[in-house]
Amino acid sequence: MGIHSVGTSDVDVVRRVLGGDTAAYATLVARYRDRLARYAVHMLGNREDAEEALQDAFVRAYRSLERCDDPARFGAWLYGILVNRCRTTGARAARRGRVFVRDEAALNGVAHASVAEQTEGEDVVCWALARLTPEYREAFLLKHVEDLEYEEMARVTGAGVSALKMRVKRAREQLQVILREAERV
Amino acid sequence: MFEPDEELIARVVQQLRRPVTVDSGLDARVMAQVGRFPAHRVGGTARAAWRWLTRPRMVRLSPLGGLAIAAAFAIVALARPDRYSRTAPAGEREFGFVVVAPRAATVSLVGDFNDWDAARTPMQRAGKQASVWTAVLPLTPGRYRYAFLVDGVSWLADPAAPAARDDEFGTPSSVVTVGGS
Amino acid sequence: MTVYWRRLGSGLVAATLVAGTAAAQRPDPRLERLDSITRPVVAALVDSARAAALPTEPLVQRALEGATKRATADRIVAAVRGLALDLGHARHALGPTASPPELTAAAAALRAGAPAATLTELRRVRRASLIVPLAVLTDLVASGVPVDSAAAAVLSLAANARDTDLVEFRRAVERDIALGAPPASATAAAVANAAVQVNAGARQQRPGRP
Repeated sequence: MGIHSVGTSDVDVVRRVLGGDTAAYATLVARYRDRLARYAVHMLGNREDAEEALQDAFVRAYRSLERCDDPARFGAWLYGILVNRCRTTGARAARRGRVFVRDEAALNGVAHASVAEQTEGEDVVCWALARLTPEYREAFLLKHVEDLEYEEMARVTGAGVSALKMRVKRAREQLQVILREAERV
Repeated sequence: MFEPDEELIARVVQQLRRPVTVDSGLDARVMAQVGRFPAHRVGGTARAAWRWLTRPRMVRLSPLGGLAIAAAFAIVALARPDRYSRTAPAGEREFGFVVVAPRAATVSLVGDFNDWDAARTPMQRAGKQASVWTAVLPLTPGRYRYAFLVDGVSWLADPAAPAARDDEFGTPSSVVTVGGS
Repeated sequence: MTVYWRRLGSGLVAATLVAGTAAAQRPDPRLERLDSITRPVVAALVDSARAAALPTEPLVQRALEGATKRATADRIVAAVRGLALDLGHARHALGPTASPPELTAAAAALRAGAPAATLTELRRVRRASLIVPLAVLTDLVASGVPVDSAAAAVLSLAANARDTDLVEFRRAVERDIALGAPPASATAAAVANAAVQVNAGARQQRPGRP
């Protein structure tokens, strides 16, 4: 088939990188950057931390590339690294007293309907996400936004499938409560 | 009035699923960090690398052999209109093309928009030692095949852009589509 | 025009004959970059296309691409002739009001395997330009999506989606494929998501609560 004639499938690129063609790794970075950024931004609540986690994940993935067991699933393996990086970065940010909400100005009146109206509800959703416990937020994002199957989530997070199902359920419940509170303001 | 649970969650999910774009400077930062480590070497004790090498597979060499060209991130401006296209007169929009090529001496942007003339659109390095090359071209609506020509000899398609499926001349090309009437 | 296509399909000499009956045109100076074997044949194909009121610029660009890439005369001529045929089929499918860029995009879609009926239907359901929907269809096929899935997906979105929605849809499919999803599933999932976005955009003026 013509699709692989350029030789840039993940397997091909990983093979090249392991063969010493370091520069080829940039192909994978460009390929996965945006999709993984979405998870990181929602998990961490701000772009700066998300980009730090993302950059960190890519570098770690490069360094441990030999340990990627199945290069055809490089993306999923990279995902697992990112999830871990987000946990570490999130913890660090919390220790620094970092503001979680994306827009600092919105923090002061975050339950404000007017702020939400301006951004079509975006900040209310982020604010609600921020109030979830991190494990619940992680599970919710992986399941409902990144569309991972539970088995995949288990591999990526290290938690069991039934624990993950419980976390997703709790996340949904919490979100509903939080958002209804916001509506009442 | 409360909305039913599913619809509330569904609207949250719909919002969160919107694509997020990251500044392409991240790629350069990653590659700068990656470049500080020694390159991987095949034939080490890594089980996985050995398995790949011995797997029967047709080897397709990139036209560059061992040369630079890591990845290109030529941008379709429709997806990032705020960053790469500025409206120009007569239905033209300016498009930015970007490629990472740390060891190249010259890079040309060549395609349907400039008669495939390699001298027409030389790309510029972002800085003196930079690995990032850029070029900006005004484009009217249409679909354009293009590729990067490195050091006058090696053709590079853009791995981050759609591939031109009909590469009947034996070298890969990419496609950029400009919308509008 | 049918006569032209039959002749074009049956050989270079025939194409040259047809060109001889068209109004004489100064050959495009850019074709000087072709060698002396290739140049007259390509010039004749370009003239024939012009006589059939098809866009000639894509043909010239294809020939120049071949010249720059140092392709053989055979390959250049085959490429230009193939494109000329595709442009003719594209015009037949889209009708006489199709713009040159639409025809170019349609030619690529047909070459990728899209049925002509899909193109005709696209023209029927979408008032806006077809450049982007056709390009998205072609690019999806290049990413491995079966052409029927790609065609159905684009058709279902084409009536209401803006160009930017279609491009985001394509990017969503490519991201999912890169992460290991089977192309057809990735397409179906992205269609469902895109349909929600497109419809939400259409009725968007509510206070910003989720």
